Amino acid sequence: MADDQTPSWFRPSRRQVLSLIGASSAGLVVPGLFGRGEAWAAKPAKPTGQVIVGFSQEPTVFNPHLLHIEVDEGIHFSVFDPLFFIDEKGEFQPGLATEVPTIDNGGISEDGLHWKIKLRDGVKWHDGKPFTAEDVKFTLELLVDPNFKSWRRDGHNLVENLTVVSPTELTFDLKTPYAPYSSILAATFIVPKHSFEGVDPNNAPFNNAPIGTGPFKWVERMAGDHITLAANDGYFGDGPYLERLIYKYIPDLTVLYTQFKTGDIDVVGVQWISPDKYQEAKDLPGKVVTVVPMGTVESFTFNMARPQFQDQKVREALYYALDKKTIIDALYYGLPTPTETYMPQQSAYYNADLPKHEYDPEKAKSLLDEAGWKPGSDGIREKDGVRLAFTNSTTAGNHIREQAQQFIQQSFKDIGVDMQISNLPPAVMWGDYWMQSKFDSVVVGIDFLTGADPDVSTYLSPTAIPAKGGGGQNTWEYESAEVGKLLKEGGTSFDTKVRKAAYLKLQEVVRHDLPFLPIFQYAAVRGHKNGIEDVIPNINVRIDTWNVGGWYWDQ
Amino acid sequence: MVRFLLGRLWQSLVLLVIVSVIGFFVLNLAPGGPLSQFALTPGMSDAQLARIAHQMGLDRPLPVQYWEWFTRLLQGDWGRSYRDNQPVLTVIWSHLLATLLLMGTSTVISVLIGTWVGVLGALRRYSVFDYAATVGAMVALSIPTFWFGLIAIYLFSLRLGWLPAGNMYTIGDGSLLDYAVHLIMPSVVLALVNVAVWSRYMRTAVLDVMTQDFIRTAKAKGLTRTAVLTRHILRNALVPMVTLLGLQLPTILGGALVTETVFTWPGMGRLFLDSLGYSDYPVVMGLLMLSAILVLIGNLLADIVVAVIDPRIRLG
Amino acid sequence: MTEMTFQTDPAPTERWWQRRVVKRFLRHRLALLGLAIIVVMVLACLVGPHLLPFDDLYIDLRARFSPPFTGAHLLGTDPLGRDVAARLFMAGRISLLVGFAAMLISTVFGSLIGVVAGYYGGKVGAVLMRFVDAVLSFPQIFLLLALAAFIKPSPIMITVIIAATSWMEIARIVEAEIKSLRERDFILAARTLGLPNAQIMFRELLPNAIGPIIVAATLTVARAILLEAYVSFLGYGIQPPLPSWGNMLNGAQQYLDSAPWLAIVPGVAITLAVTGFNFVGDGLRDALDARSDLT
Repeated sequence: MADDQTPSWFRPSRRQVLSLIGASSAGLVVPGLFGRGEAWAAKPAKPTGQVIVGFSQEPTVFNPHLLHIEVDEGIHFSVFDPLFFIDEKGEFQPGLATEVPTIDNGGISEDGLHWKIKLRDGVKWHDGKPFTAEDVKFTLELLVDPNFKSWRRDGHNLVENLTVVSPTELTFDLKTPYAPYSSILAATFIVPKHSFEGVDPNNAPFNNAPIGTGPFKWVERMAGDHITLAANDGYFGDGPYLERLIYKYIPDLTVLYTQFKTGDIDVVGVQWISPDKYQEAKDLPGKVVTVVPMGTVESFTFNMARPQFQDQKVREALYYALDKKTIIDALYYGLPTPTETYMPQQSAYYNADLPKHEYDPEKAKSLLDEAGWKPGSDGIREKDGVRLAFTNSTTAGNHIREQAQQFIQQSFKDIGVDMQISNLPPAVMWGDYWMQSKFDSVVVGIDFLTGADPDVSTYLSPTAIPAKGGGGQNTWEYESAEVGKLLKEGGTSFDTKVRKAAYLKLQEVVRHDLPFLPIFQYAAVRGHKNGIEDVIPNINVRIDTWNVGGWYWDQ
Repeated sequence: MVRFLLGRLWQSLVLLVIVSVIGFFVLNLAPGGPLSQFALTPGMSDAQLARIAHQMGLDRPLPVQYWEWFTRLLQGDWGRSYRDNQPVLTVIWSHLLATLLLMGTSTVISVLIGTWVGVLGALRRYSVFDYAATVGAMVALSIPTFWFGLIAIYLFSLRLGWLPAGNMYTIGDGSLLDYAVHLIMPSVVLALVNVAVWSRYMRTAVLDVMTQDFIRTAKAKGLTRTAVLTRHILRNALVPMVTLLGLQLPTILGGALVTETVFTWPGMGRLFLDSLGYSDYPVVMGLLMLSAILVLIGNLLADIVVAVIDPRIRLG
Repeated sequence: MTEMTFQTDPAPTERWWQRRVVKRFLRHRLALLGLAIIVVMVLACLVGPHLLPFDDLYIDLRARFSPPFTGAHLLGTDPLGRDVAARLFMAGRISLLVGFAAMLISTVFGSLIGVVAGYYGGKVGAVLMRFVDAVLSFPQIFLLLALAAFIKPSPIMITVIIAATSWMEIARIVEAEIKSLRERDFILAARTLGLPNAQIMFRELLPNAIGPIIVAATLTVARAILLEAYVSFLGYGIQPPLPSWGNMLNGAQQYLDSAPWLAIVPGVAITLAVTGFNFVGDGLRDALDARSDLT
């Protein structure tokens, strides 16, 4: 960086910076994915054929700015476009904008406060009306409209002086420089202003029959069963190459897999194929089955406000007693990757030099002995009247995790620690029980990053503890002044090197303090029929249909 | 008669209010809530969820929320689903047909088989058939429906490959035959319990009628066996049958819920479980009210039918 | 779920322990078979775990998914390599206990409501019985699942919510019974003597209704076992590693293709136990029915 004052995160365009996951994961991405150039040759001249994507949850929210879950984004990516998006290499690519604004190309001012967005000309909404800068302005204003149940305000609430310069250009200012805003914009789909005129945006007819600019048009929804989309012939970008796209809701993972096996569905979407089916799935004839790393990290999480867990030695001992390798190899069939941190290993900010975990129950016992936790009459350790006993919760119905939980329970029992299982339905689990830290310990998979930015203040900042009035999600009640300092350093500095140093150090501190025991980084077993091309995984987004406009049947 | 009906109607309305109060408070007092499923959305914060909860009015006292829900209901507004923001009745309507198809088919199956088994059992009382039917019915009543479904899937889908393991139809097919093939397993599984109940009631009813004087008279008059059976016995046995159909409604609904879960059938049972899982209270309340209304209508109809068919019953 | 609304029609003057009743019951072959099933199952669950060389909680990942009848594990092992037979017996203890306890609670509570409603009649009776009707208008499974979200799923709480959704039938039966007994001479006599209401209700009336209560209670055990199985099957019931017949089935669907015994074994146990209680209930009803002597 030549100019230290230049916010480096504002030059994200091609190679570096925000790039989270690169092609480094390609080693895991197995056959079926040919080089792009070769594949392009076979793309059909006009949209041909149909693809059925199976989801194990039902997409129900089609307005991308209302509170929604990840499957809903499958529809959003098909029907809408953002100004620019993040591709599988972690690079921004223009969408509705003609170019990704950076300091280099003048889209962003040197101080990072003034933005200028140039839009594509001639783009039409699915209903034939022209797309203009007014729509972008409307979208950004809708997101912070106090009467709208907006799913995300952070970032957008810094925008001011939103001005439409011409139908293809608009400008705005940020109140303060905010590093992750490019990532946030890349996940912000533009919606048509004219669909909301004169109606309550929360109940607009649009919300159930969305109109976008994307590669596919809304056709119909059979509630509880499937959603049908059709090719948008006038799409401005690459594709679409499919005449019809169907999202099928199959509420059971076993049935989802069975239907993939029998060919009833063409692509297995979230929650994919369960690990215990991988051995069988990878040999299925006519199917391409790949193991794809995900950004979600599985952890054994403590509530550090509990007296049992305040002792650093206890957390260390429990980490020694955790037989990670067996859990991964036997229960998860070796698919996920063991990890020592919350940061996905494909990220540029991943700290690869953290101390490696060892499974050593003897060491665990001696640590506890040293710290004064002595076995009581029932074999359970205690110290100063505190028994080393606690509950552990996760959502009921995740069978493999429940098995892991029981296995961990046995491991802990062997070192004189009593862990009781108390699983809850999801709606109960993630309510106050989680948010207000009413649990003792939890096994949970969390995607710590938002999009591609390495900032994790929501989860780790000492001021983000909901149980203590903070507004974030530091539900383990982890209060470390050093973490707070590092987060501030990484969040306010605009120098990549400074940021990187701060986040590497942060991972080291968290690895040492162990507010949660990192277990592994998830990998999904994805599958699609042979012949569907360009199904490319992208760890920077939550859904596999992010580039569905480019999918095609190889004839 | 009119006074009797009005009285029953009034009682039913009072019941509905009680049902709604119990349902509403049981649901809303439970921990968690409709927003908790979004807690693990990347970047989600407690503050953001609290803001949306406020916008949705979820932070107001429960009695206030109930009163609003109730007064709107009186105006015909059942509220909107938290999940897809559609009016509750639209959501329920879109799942109703699937359940009706399943319940209807299964009821036809169970009535046909149940009547046959019951009547035959009564006519040949204490025969091997009667004995086997009685034992069979008891065992059928003892099999957990969901387990029976699992075993059926194992046998007919996984092992033999004759029938699909779930769903209502194949996308892109949807022909009558396709629907029929998908219907077989779930409707038979759901019918199992009802065949048992139905056949036992039928047997008792036919036995009751058979011992009555007018049947003996009819027999004495020299009517054929079939004539006696159809003209007298079955017609008279119909009264308790209709009553039973009304009273069985909640059972069939509950059974449909279980069956739909196992066979991924896109009906109201599935909707109920999904809505409960997502704490989509407006939809859950709608389903509860609807099923309560159905049950009460069933009871009411049963009362009326009994009163009309059997004048011996005094109204009042 | 099975729902049994068989009406009982006992002769109130004849008490259940009278010899004719016992005799009739003993003549009822199905009832005896049912009793035998229950006794055998209870004994197996009590003794079984001590005869097996495996602990129901011991996890042995090397032995996962062993099929039945092939090795040391008689009924095979589960996804964590635990012995299915050992778990089956321990699960039986829990499931049967939950069934019994839920029956006790719902019988006591249901009888109480029924006696009070039947004895006082009038407004009190109407209010109580309308409440019963209201709860009955919920499909039982709906109510059970809604309640399950409330509680920490310990065996005791599961028992309580099952009881909370099963007492209405008994209340109805008892109310009807008491209402018909209320005007009998011996009750009128007791009233004129000035006996306290509680004494009339529980000393005089209730013992006379004991027959139908016992029948209903037996059938309630059967239903409670089924309900436990269903809630646990959905994952909201008894929590692992504590086994119950229901939670052994939880997850079995996933392995239906590769390890079908995980679904078959506990399902057969549930069916057997429930059949046993239904047979006994049926036999008791026949035995208490004076008319059955006529045929």
